[in-house]
Amino acid sequence: MNSQSELSLTSPAGINNAPLADKPQAPIDIRFGQLGVLQLRIRTLDPGVILDELSGRFSSAPGFFRRAAVCIDLLTVKTLPDLDQLRAIIEAVSRTGMIPIGLAGEATAIESLAVAVKLPVLSALRTQMRPGPALEPLQAEPESQVEIEVEASSSEPPASDAPGTRDTTALLHTQMVRSGQRVYARHRDLVVSAGVASGAEVMADGCVHVYGSLRGRAIAGTRGDTGARIFCQEFHAELVSIAGVFRIFETIPADLSGKPVQVWLDGEKLHCTRIGT
Amino acid sequence: MAEIIVVTSGKGGVGKTTTSASIASGLARRDKRVAVIDFDIGLRNLDLIMGCERRVVYDFVNVIQGDCTLKQALIKDKRLDNLYLLAASQTRDKDALTEEGVSRVLNELGADGFEYIICDSPAGIEKGAHLAMYFADQAVVVVNPEVSSVRDSDRILGLLSSKTKRAELGNGKVTEHLLLTRYNPSRVAKGEMLSVADVKEILGLDIVGVIPESPDVLAASNSGVPVIMNDESDAAIAYQDAVDRLLGEEKPMRFTEVPKRGLFARMFGG
Repeated sequence: MNSQSELSLTSPAGINNAPLADKPQAPIDIRFGQLGVLQLRIRTLDPGVILDELSGRFSSAPGFFRRAAVCIDLLTVKTLPDLDQLRAIIEAVSRTGMIPIGLAGEATAIESLAVAVKLPVLSALRTQMRPGPALEPLQAEPESQVEIEVEASSSEPPASDAPGTRDTTALLHTQMVRSGQRVYARHRDLVVSAGVASGAEVMADGCVHVYGSLRGRAIAGTRGDTGARIFCQEFHAELVSIAGVFRIFETIPADLSGKPVQVWLDGEKLHCTRIGT
Repeated sequence: MAEIIVVTSGKGGVGKTTTSASIASGLARRDKRVAVIDFDIGLRNLDLIMGCERRVVYDFVNVIQGDCTLKQALIKDKRLDNLYLLAASQTRDKDALTEEGVSRVLNELGADGFEYIICDSPAGIEKGAHLAMYFADQAVVVVNPEVSSVRDSDRILGLLSSKTKRAELGNGKVTEHLLLTRYNPSRVAKGEMLSVADVKEILGLDIVGVIPESPDVLAASNSGVPVIMNDESDAAIAYQDAVDRLLGEEKPMRFTEVPKRGLFARMFGG
């Protein structure tokens, strides 16, 4: 799920990647980038259980996670794995088609493991343990052993990533989001005043509002805000996700198709309902 | 400065080359000085559709690599005096194209007094297609009324708004036009094909022309005469309308409804 060069990734960081035409281009550029990275939080050290759980979850959408970069989060395991166990876990995750690109957890504790498996420690990526207290009642410990969350990794200092940091205005996108494009609103809501085509992705740390037709994917609460919602004027979505809980629509229920719809999360369950009726 | 129009689609086989040949010929018939360039390096076709395959000596890659001058490589159309073709190379691959080289050829054509340069894009979103669209001022996105073609066109429209020189320099948008080809109103009525309104709605763009499905198109390709030159054909009339709309004229859409059967046809079941 990392951004590729041809994606137009709109972010508040606003990195202008347009080279000036008449300037000779340097052979390399080093710059801060923002990549959406899947985070796999594990609660077991048994590679078999992890593989089964992941395969089961992906069976309905086998292509969705193929070659997706994933960070393995060890924060939630009771005891840290030893090197052999960690290698087995990485192997299990790789077998599902995802590509492990880093470890997360207590940086000092996992440093030596990370060095041994030649993966970086992505500490800035540590899961924001949960947002504001108002949302706490919805928190229920999920029963499954594996939890997937889409998180935005950042190379900025972790301080700016503190939970609850919210820009006040929403990111406004006025053009149609085309197939293959991705728009991400970091620390805020996203408002798309045009349509979102099939194969396009709109993501926000807050809510996602689409005032045209939503035919692609909409992902709200990418940093785990379970109170985030998705609103659209014409619902034809391929996938909706809030705080990592997603639903794929192979067929859209007739009462929702083409209608104004909102999506919200209640515990571990996603609800999609008509608005304004 | 010449107006650069890319004819593109993402998907193959939807009618890009047919459209390039017809739009180039249509503009030339309206007394514009036109050059049409085949960007499909390795799969040269435009020369066949234009009927000048036996006159190709030098090609686009030769010009870029400095093996010949642009004048030597431009092939003058045998029917229209102000239409020229720059053929693709059949023996090279798309890596022979460079941004610098393409830019130089386009500038040279502009300096030579060409008013329109039509870039016939290869299918896909690789280098050839990228370079065909990169310098464009306008784009004609060719789409068939079926879902995979519509999705690929959507992808191309996304690239046009981000991966072109205009987009990168913030120099205004590439003007986008949709051209629907292989349109069959009776199949649309039966629900077997997407309608003009469906395509317009999904892609959120206006349509510059609807070319009806017609046996004349294949016949024209095989005889090496762009279909727009066949004044009897519905497809040709539709292409002429599209060229007029590209030039800013307002024209009602034709051939988008199922033709009503005449009295005799109904009486005699013909």
